[in-house]
Amino acid sequence: MNIFNKGNSKLSKKIILLGQFGVGKSSLIEKFVHQEFSEMYITTIGVKIDKKEVQLGGRKYSLLIWDIAGEDTQIKVPTAYKLGAHGAIFVFDLTMPSSFENLEHDIAYMKKIIPPIPFVLVGNKTDLVDEAEMARIKEIVPHNDYIYSSAKTGENVESIFTSLVKKMAK
Amino acid sequence: MQVVKPIVASKESNQMLQLRDILLEKDRERQLGLIERVNKVQETLNTKEKLSAKVSPLIKAELDQLKNDFPTLFGPVITETIKYQIQNSQDEVVDALYPIIGKLIRKYISREIEILSERVDKQFEKAFSWQGWLKRIKTWFGGAKESDIILQGASNTIIEEIFVIEQNSGLLFGSYSRTKTIDEDMIAGMLTAIKSFVVDAFKTKDQNLEGIEYESYHILFYNFNKFFLTVVVSGTITASFKDQLEKTVLKFVDKLRKQSNNIEESESNQFSGYLEKFFKNL
Repeated sequence: MNIFNKGNSKLSKKIILLGQFGVGKSSLIEKFVHQEFSEMYITTIGVKIDKKEVQLGGRKYSLLIWDIAGEDTQIKVPTAYKLGAHGAIFVFDLTMPSSFENLEHDIAYMKKIIPPIPFVLVGNKTDLVDEAEMARIKEIVPHNDYIYSSAKTGENVESIFTSLVKKMAK
Repeated sequence: MQVVKPIVASKESNQMLQLRDILLEKDRERQLGLIERVNKVQETLNTKEKLSAKVSPLIKAELDQLKNDFPTLFGPVITETIKYQIQNSQDEVVDALYPIIGKLIRKYISREIEILSERVDKQFEKAFSWQGWLKRIKTWFGGAKESDIILQGASNTIIEEIFVIEQNSGLLFGSYSRTKTIDEDMIAGMLTAIKSFVVDAFKTKDQNLEGIEYESYHILFYNFNKFFLTVVVSGTITASFKDQLEKTVLKFVDKLRKQSNNIEESESNQFSGYLEKFFKNL
């Protein structure tokens, strides 16, 4: 007897959200998912999981977004939470230099503990910086390939996730 | 000459007095009226009955108003005070509540035992029916205790949910839900996170979380190499039920392994329909 019935199946992807405490990871998810699945999980077991279904290239994707509690350094976060991830979003705060000064090191650490997976770099809180400041930040941030966003205004929030899904679908 | 002056003065002063009387007559009347009113007020103030008749309606109105406004005026302060007292005098609170809670628990347990005893009676009645004899034969061959099987029938054990979850990612391969209240994908993720959290927190890398108990709910974990199964059961779990469940899980996993080529990573809801059928008769 065949136990499989794939008529109703959909492609699920695990996405992990990384970045220091206070950079706006949870706000980005809230803006993208439009729902609040009890924030208290983050304070109790260090992770909160949200789900969003997106349609891309005629395929339905179910994104399970793991919002991992931010620490000063990612080393303190349980490694197991990152295992099996298909994609990662690394968020830093444009108004908080400490969140992007060690970006190279943080990304290298992430690559060390999980196999190479597609990831998107996000500079959040554009609503709090002006053009001159932005130009200064661009000189400091070691990467060129990142998306500027604002969880407050919603700027580029959808793009973060769709761009990651595109990378994962390749 | 010196004597005349006062007579003149006296005449003048009489005239002055008369003039004053004429001019101040109305004032005097007003004064008398005021004195009369003050006397009346004094009498009211000094006579209990009269004072009470005047003041009581005012006090009553004020009290009624206070009664209406009390929750909004003092509610938050009282709540805060109670919270503070409970936090700072937990032992006293426990001492005060212990007898009441004790009585409630005693009452609840005796009521539950009554219900259980009724169910066991019914089970014994059934035991002497054809079904009962069949069950007995089953226990002779199966090895499970007859009392376990009788208790299992009495305890309303229900499989509420089953999840087949990929080990690392926490993605759902398949699920069955009796009530379908919460998103299964998110539950699968959270169950994986809890499992990982326990392993991480207690540094038990070679051991796995086997179960969580939540009031009358039992969350049982069955770990395998690529995935794990979580079965949520409500009611009382007897040894025989646990044994039966374990056998069914292993049978299911065996079937799954035989068709493991069909399992596609990241693809959820692959055999959800089959899960329900498989565990239905448990």
